[in-house]
Amino acid sequence: MTKLAQWLWGLALLGSAWAALALSPPGLRLPAPYRQALLPLPVYLLVAFGCYALATVGYRVATFNDCEEAAAELREHINAAWEDLRRRGLRF
Amino acid sequence: QATATDRAVGFGLVAFSLALFAYYTLWIVVLPFIDSAHAIHRFFLPREYAVIIPVVAGLLLLLFIGVFIVVVTWKSRKPAKKSE
Repeated sequence: MTKLAQWLWGLALLGSAWAALALSPPGLRLPAPYRQALLPLPVYLLVAFGCYALATVGYRVATFNDCEEAAAELREHINAAWEDLRRRGLRF
Repeated sequence: QATATDRAVGFGLVAFSLALFAYYTLWIVVLPFIDSAHAIHRFFLPREYAVIIPVVAGLLLLLFIGVFIVVVTWKSRKPAKKSE
């Protein structure tokens, strides 16, 4: 089974579980606060995932260490390539 | 060590998303179990907004992305008649 199929299956299972519990089918009597908390759950999970993604990006930005030598080396490479292209006739 | 601005922005993002997550979790998951007379309800909008605001924000984001793609695609088309 492809990854897409797995994801769709998982979503379908979770979605049907949520629908079964939250959309007040006859015969199921959950106490009111539980139903109230359960109903916006898909939106809540989306927002929670968004927060997680944002926090991960922020954390990686904060902890990505500068590599001074790699930067200098890269600048050298860029200038060398620049020179080479200029000699071959490419004008900026 | 990352630059000071990098760290400030990065940890700022972490703090912001933690705060947002905490507030939203309280709003959606905790508040239904708290008696409606309790003072904490003053800090939260009516429950409908807990769904309306993210949905509207998501739609605006999609709109923005769509407009951006259209603008970039429009600018990068190669005109057949003109020779620019």
